[in-house]
Amino acid sequence: MKKLFLLLLLLFVGFVSCERDDICIDDITPHLIIRFYDVTDTTLVKSVDQLSVKILEIDANYISNSTADSIALPLISSAEFTRFVLMNESNSDTITVNYTPEAVFVGRSCGFKSIFNGLDLHVTGDGENWIQSFNIISQQIENETSAHVKIFH
Amino acid sequence: MLKYSISILLLLGCLVSFSQTDNSKQQDTLIKNKYGLRVGIDIFKPVNTFINDDSKGFELIGDYRVSKKFYVAAELGFQENTTEEDYINFTTNGSFIKAGADYNAYANWLDMENAIYVGFRYGFSTFSQTLNSYTVNNDPFLDDVAMAVNGQKFDDLNAHWAEFVLGIKAEILNNLFLGFSISGKKMITTKEPDNFKNLYVPGFNRVFLNNSGFGFNYTLSYLIPFYKRDK
Repeated sequence: MKKLFLLLLLLFVGFVSCERDDICIDDITPHLIIRFYDVTDTTLVKSVDQLSVKILEIDANYISNSTADSIALPLISSAEFTRFVLMNESNSDTITVNYTPEAVFVGRSCGFKSIFNGLDLHVTGDGENWIQSFNIISQQIENETSAHVKIFH
Repeated sequence: MLKYSISILLLLGCLVSFSQTDNSKQQDTLIKNKYGLRVGIDIFKPVNTFINDDSKGFELIGDYRVSKKFYVAAELGFQENTTEEDYINFTTNGSFIKAGADYNAYANWLDMENAIYVGFRYGFSTFSQTLNSYTVNNDPFLDDVAMAVNGQKFDDLNAHWAEFVLGIKAEILNNLFLGFSISGKKMITTKEPDNFKNLYVPGFNRVFLNNSGFGFNYTLSYLIPFYKRDK
């Protein structure tokens, strides 16, 4: 009987000591992907030198002094807009991204992600914008496989 | 004392085998198996209800002997369980029933009624899921503005599954049994909530990625003997 109890105890300890086994590996909330194009030849990808991006809502630099022809920006899913200041070497432009977030269940470890519908962009005019124009390719941000917005400069 | 117990057992074994060779026919007729209804409870669930704020549960168990080796068996219970994950917190509440059969693979000595058994169950549960809160899984850069959102309640959910059971039962006092069993489960079908998932099901416990599950029971049960039979 003693041995039986010991066996039961061992089995019990074995079971309660089981730990969680999964980590989040699925895609979570997608970023807004912006690709930069030449304003004179709109088919030509043109990178921006010394680009910095600041998220106004949290007053923090997301990208600092990098040269890139495309950027991926995080959108705040608890709001309906996020404002970014895009700075090149000498000039800074503010863009406002408007959207309707939608929570989508992913799984146990990832929880919910957000997708964004009705994407709209607004460039605050200051008389000397380096961003000449833009083109919204996809109004819905569901994944990060291709650019959602083209910016011409 | 323990040291001698094996020798005593061996001695007893000799005695028994002697007596069996002496007049085995008479001996056979003397040993009878008890048939009846065994009812009991899971003793871990009430304890866990007491020590764990996130879990409340109760489970009745029962089996009925149909032959020397076979028992029809069933479990019935309810379970309320709150699961906390990194980005979600939800409470599952519902009841379940399992029915199937056990096969006792243990050859008992004389009139003992211990069991080492394998079994199969069909499980069914009806329940609700309440998504207490969730935080949208964002770029970690935005963690400062991440907000927990209150979720909703999903009613009228259900699940069907199959279970494979492995267990032991020991008669600790006359007709009183202490048991332990483990079970492997596989989900057959579930009615899933909209834009959420049944990650926990009463009776099934945690639903793992491949729709499988595990469980264990500590049981205390009492055999109500109906009659005795030779085999």
